[in-house]
Amino acid sequence: MSVKYVPVQWNAFKWWYDAVLVLFIAIYILAFLRLGLPEADVTRGTDGATVRMRAFGSCAFFLLTLALCIGPLARLDRRFLPLLYNRRHLGVLTAAVAFTHVVYVFNWYYNFIPTDRYEALLTWVPSGGLLGFPIEPLGLFALICLGILAATSHDFWLSFLGAPIWKSLHLLIYPAYFAVVGHVALGYLQSATNPAFAIVFAACACAVAGLHVAAFRKGRAEARAGAGDWVEVPDADALEDGRARIVRLSASERAAVFRHEGQLYAVSNACAHQNGPLGEGRVIDGCITCPWHGFQYRLTDGQSPAPFTEKVPTYRLRRKGRRVEIDRRASPPGTAQTPLPVSDQPHAAEVPA
Amino acid sequence: MAASLLIFAKIYGWIGLAAAVPFLAFGLDRIDDSAVGSWVFRTLLIPGIVLLWPLVLWRWFQLETGRGDAQARHRPPIAPQLALALLLALLIPVAILSALVLRQDGPIERPSVLLEAPA
Repeated sequence: MSVKYVPVQWNAFKWWYDAVLVLFIAIYILAFLRLGLPEADVTRGTDGATVRMRAFGSCAFFLLTLALCIGPLARLDRRFLPLLYNRRHLGVLTAAVAFTHVVYVFNWYYNFIPTDRYEALLTWVPSGGLLGFPIEPLGLFALICLGILAATSHDFWLSFLGAPIWKSLHLLIYPAYFAVVGHVALGYLQSATNPAFAIVFAACACAVAGLHVAAFRKGRAEARAGAGDWVEVPDADALEDGRARIVRLSASERAAVFRHEGQLYAVSNACAHQNGPLGEGRVIDGCITCPWHGFQYRLTDGQSPAPFTEKVPTYRLRRKGRRVEIDRRASPPGTAQTPLPVSDQPHAAEVPA
Repeated sequence: MAASLLIFAKIYGWIGLAAAVPFLAFGLDRIDDSAVGSWVFRTLLIPGIVLLWPLVLWRWFQLETGRGDAQARHRPPIAPQLALALLLALLIPVAILSALVLRQDGPIERPSVLLEAPA
């Protein structure tokens, strides 16, 4: 949480996170080169330059796979939430490693051609792979996507562009990953003789696919809203203290209904920082705490405690019969709401209004 | 075609750089209170402005004229994300299986031949 923008909000955890990432990248690249270079020779299919570009290319693929797995993993199991905390740095490092791969490719395959090298890079010829589809545009598309994501990863961009545009922009990660899968499947896999990488590659890509399906199935279990301005919050009185239930209000809007010290409170489920799921967080020190980066909001008005300025919309709650209902119409961010006392009576599954 | 693309990319990039100067010098302070007095972080924004300057200018205009939807910040596009994630999950196995099934002859089936040097 910050009042003024800074280049990077460093803390001890981020230093460790980045140190582990950089160490992993360094060990992977060095191990790849140490194992691969002795076998490389210009008289064989693989030479030294090819080994270097494969080292960085495969490293970028694994990093991108990790980046895509973290989101659904954190939704499925809260123990993975720390990985999500600094995912932006992982994304920026992935873009840097992918760019290094492209530099090696560019300086090797385009070095001795008579025409302009940049023009040649954009003059795609069939690779001889599947149906003759060139792999260069797939890789270039993925690199541009990763570049856009890395360039717009600072908190300013979310605040400036707004959640719908910023998030839509960052959905480019999905077509980028698919382009990378196509780039490898139509490129290296077409000529690979060692099945080891093909197996690992397919396992990684299928893990991304499987985890997203699993997270989607979990998301479907969220409470769904019916018609009308007031919608039911199922089992609100049975909530664990300090925890929330996420209520789907529309296709793009979720609310988080928290229980704290015998009262119910409702705020937007989207954190003002990076739209993290507040409803998957908990109440710490009397404030709703985002599970992604620890941004905090007061329960009554959705306002971050001073001196911080972030705030989220709040919602009115009411009791109709035994049911707890939430007003679908959000109040402006920071609007104070009267909390709704939890019913002491045993919860009934179906009670007429 | 490739030459035209390169010229377009160069012009696009230079306009982006030109747009970055006024935006970072004074536009930012007018639309975002958190940026006032913070200068170092602005250098990190330059690549994004160069890449997305039409979007930046449009958004700058919206915020300057008060046409932006302040509440939109709290409504992330959840449905498209779910749809894209599921589409990706569907297409990944299809792409890999297709590539492996339709794989053409490789070095094992058709070993490479060392060419002789020209006479």
